[in-house]
Amino acid sequence: MTAAAVARETGIRLAKADADGLNATLHWSQAALDAEAARVDARPARGALHATPIAVKDNIVTTDAPTTCASRILDGYVSPYEATAVVRLRAAGAIMACKTNLDEFAMGSSTEHSAYGRVKHPLDPSRVPGGSSGGSAALVAAGAVPVALGSETGGSVRQPASFCGVVGVKPSYGRVSRFGLVAFGSSLDCISVFGRTVDDAARVLETMSGPDPLDATTRADRPPLAASAARADLKGLRIGLPKEYFPADLHGGVRAGLDRTIKALRSLGADIKDVSLPYSKYAVPTYYIIAPAEAAANLARYDGVRYGRRKVGPDGDIRSLYRATRGEGFGPEVRRRILIGTYVLSAGYYDAYYRKAQTVRALIARDFQRAFAGGIDLLLTPTTPTPPFKAGEKTDDPVQMYLADIFVCPVNLAGLPALSLPVGRDGGLPIGAQLIAPDFEEARMLSVAGALERVLRPTEEVR
Amino acid sequence: MAWETVIGLEVHVQLLTRSKMFCACSAAFGDPPNTNVCPVCLGLPGALPVPNGQAIRLATRAALALGCTVQPRSVFARKNYFYPDLPKGYQISQFDEPLALSGAVEFESPERGRIRCGVTRLHVEEDAGKLIHDRFPGKTAVDLNRAGTPLAEIVSEPDLRSPAEARAYLTTLKQILVYAEVSDCSMEQGSLRVDANLSVRRSGDPNLGTKCEVKNLNSFANVERALEAERDRQVALREGGQRIVQSTLLFNAGTGQVKLLRSKEESHDYRYFPDPDLPPLVLGKAWIDEQRGALPELPEAKRDRLVARYGLTAYAAGELTRERAIADYFEAVVAAGADARHAASWVTGDAMTGYNETGRFAVLPVRLAELIALVAENVVSNQAAKKVFASPRMADPSAGSTRAIAEALGLTQVSDTGALAGWVDEVLTANPKEVERYRAGEAKLIGFFVGQVMKRSQGKADPKGVQPVLVERLNGK
Amino acid sequence: MNIGPDGVLHVAKLAEIGVDEQELPKLVEQFNRIVDYVAQLDDVPSDTKAAPFVAGPTATPLREDVVGPVPLARPPAAFAPEFADGFFLVPRHGAMEDL
Repeated sequence: MTAAAVARETGIRLAKADADGLNATLHWSQAALDAEAARVDARPARGALHATPIAVKDNIVTTDAPTTCASRILDGYVSPYEATAVVRLRAAGAIMACKTNLDEFAMGSSTEHSAYGRVKHPLDPSRVPGGSSGGSAALVAAGAVPVALGSETGGSVRQPASFCGVVGVKPSYGRVSRFGLVAFGSSLDCISVFGRTVDDAARVLETMSGPDPLDATTRADRPPLAASAARADLKGLRIGLPKEYFPADLHGGVRAGLDRTIKALRSLGADIKDVSLPYSKYAVPTYYIIAPAEAAANLARYDGVRYGRRKVGPDGDIRSLYRATRGEGFGPEVRRRILIGTYVLSAGYYDAYYRKAQTVRALIARDFQRAFAGGIDLLLTPTTPTPPFKAGEKTDDPVQMYLADIFVCPVNLAGLPALSLPVGRDGGLPIGAQLIAPDFEEARMLSVAGALERVLRPTEEVR
Repeated sequence: MAWETVIGLEVHVQLLTRSKMFCACSAAFGDPPNTNVCPVCLGLPGALPVPNGQAIRLATRAALALGCTVQPRSVFARKNYFYPDLPKGYQISQFDEPLALSGAVEFESPERGRIRCGVTRLHVEEDAGKLIHDRFPGKTAVDLNRAGTPLAEIVSEPDLRSPAEARAYLTTLKQILVYAEVSDCSMEQGSLRVDANLSVRRSGDPNLGTKCEVKNLNSFANVERALEAERDRQVALREGGQRIVQSTLLFNAGTGQVKLLRSKEESHDYRYFPDPDLPPLVLGKAWIDEQRGALPELPEAKRDRLVARYGLTAYAAGELTRERAIADYFEAVVAAGADARHAASWVTGDAMTGYNETGRFAVLPVRLAELIALVAENVVSNQAAKKVFASPRMADPSAGSTRAIAEALGLTQVSDTGALAGWVDEVLTANPKEVERYRAGEAKLIGFFVGQVMKRSQGKADPKGVQPVLVERLNGK
Repeated sequence: MNIGPDGVLHVAKLAEIGVDEQELPKLVEQFNRIVDYVAQLDDVPSDTKAAPFVAGPTATPLREDVVGPVPLARPPAAFAPEFADGFFLVPRHGAMEDL
């Protein structure tokens, strides 16, 4: 199939997703798709991702479309340079299909906090697709694209993957260059991938991976990620179930989905063991100190001086420019997080909040290290505590919204690779299971997920 | 009752790198505005910093030259504040884990003789851009070419006791940093900047008074003037029974006064925290030792060596080591065979005139060595030697030997008795009255005859050779 | 922990974020709710120790001191809100000249 044909087909599918009211795309055009296809078809050799259409979350910079982060403050901003990940994907023959909607600056768990309106769940428009990479998740779930890029700071790919019933893979911190990913929480941010299948996601991840001289936090001292085939059986594999991730009040559908996954793992020959990650219960409060602190600094650059939207306030001076530009350019959730992040770093509070959170982060990471050092190969948990919730359900209570990430954000704090795999449905809504691997052991995690994918029927009701 | 002044200085120097601290943009000074900019130093969304290894090397050299202990692990931190010259809304600096700690600068205090001023710390950071207020009506223009250029900040202990002492410390600090080839330390180009902290206390009081910071100091002379003004202000307040309020002041070089910028209550809350874009800076002991080994000889050691090796006075050695280039030139002249004391006198004398104007020594070291030898051999007079030295041909490697240059300029002396006798005879013949008077006992006229011979020879006669010939002729007839 | 409107406005000033007066009560309430929530880290005894966790490499790589080409597909004039004669422009402010 030529890239030109793929581009036409992709255009039709994106147009349908738009027509269905998903509100998942932010910028795309048939002309841009055709230009991408012409570039790919003109290549003398086929790349590893030849003519693969990829949707890109709109917080990853590209030179041929705007990058707005779904924020008014970046309305119309077109980056004069391109993200390393996108450069690598294009070099492998991929087609950048569209830019996708997200929670503003990736801050949110429902893709309701977008300056361009909320993204709807493809299976139930009254529900949220999860977030913050909700646009990318919804497009893959709706079949508009086979793969899409998202980004994670505290679960923003795995959580919407679970809600939408697709595969979502977060690599180890330092596996994929962050150069060109608009920073939110720099010590947590990872470009991550959605796929219809584990293999689709793995191939895109493999192409993007590897050290980048433009990102000092990529790992030159780790082996490259080589795609590995799904394992036929899982004999000898030890899967740990951290008890803190299976609370007594866990949603029945989610529990049933996980039970089904455990059964499948056993049938493939894996050993299931109980483990404990006692500090994971502090992950959400730890995350909501560290991520906002980093965000408060990362978002200081949106000051209306060099690029983006500018608004000058009544005093007409530079401070007035800053306050009006930032006060009106950022939405409520972003403003809240900047304020919290500023507060926890401010004089007199640093030790009580930021320093304490760093200590707890180290304890959370140590729990994982100990579990893996104790002979566990992979951890299995629910991805989310519930199936997708209704739009508007949590928007007035930021803390309730934060708790939607309770099982995913410990992994970001520990810098580990993890993925969410669709394992079935409850009342028609997808349920996801999460596999967590030791640092830079993505290949193990992907091969086990591939094995599970073959035996689980993800559209089947779990109870 | 006497007051004691306590001063500490924070000095920023730009490190001599080609590219910026965290990106590959040129760090050159003076290019058209906003041409040396990229996603990183513009603070564009998604851009990330990667540290410049040469900046780290130069900062390490500076630290070692100042006797600091370079830390095996240091941490980049974000210093958060909003200003139009600061693209990211934070400056990447170092805070509680700096590159280097606890060094010292030894220098000559105008009041206390040779003393040491402690260096608390040295850290690396990026510079901000430049703001221009007078170019567009009602607007401030922002040029980010300088944004992201590498700086070392050197913080002194409050060991300085007078404005003049602060100036002497700065002079020595600059000398060391220029020697170590860390920075050109040009205040005019802004590659050395100073903030000063000053407090006063009753003599003998062990506790420090409340300090104030003085900014906007654009020359060493103004550092001294500003500190004098601030000392006088604080003493006057204290004499009047008032307290000092911790604050930041600006020096106005025009009026010689300091004025309040902000008090402590309005001071910034910089919210420092480790920069999550940058893993810790880890420097191995072997690498640090290698940098120490590669340090050039520093001014103090060089001065001592010049005294010991060449028998120079401490004063002459001090003059020669004021800048490394001067000492290097001196040693090159000596290496080319010149007598050291004569070389020192030439280098600190005639040679400095040109060096002060052009920043370089035009005369080739071997030429100066030859010239010094020609003077010693009476081939060229002291007077003529200055003219030979000033000749542009002395800077031209293809111009032949110094003797040839002097000869071509007609500046060699004639000491041949036959030639001298000719001029002597002419002079005696032309001045019969003076010959009479001399012979009648006016012996001091010998000077007149020497002068006449020199004049008649157009300066070529060797004055030392002229006198015996004159005496012989005058007495012989 | 109770942070009043003045406390929140102080933080907003540090962050240079204009706050609408009508929004303030709700913002103060949400701010306190979040701060109270994250304060549960107080439950972790303060003497609990763990080796510091650094995401990514344990040591930063260093770049060669080489000047590269300007990697901008479009010049600053193409994205600046106000630009003239090679300069970004902002409103002039007297106090700024003093710093």
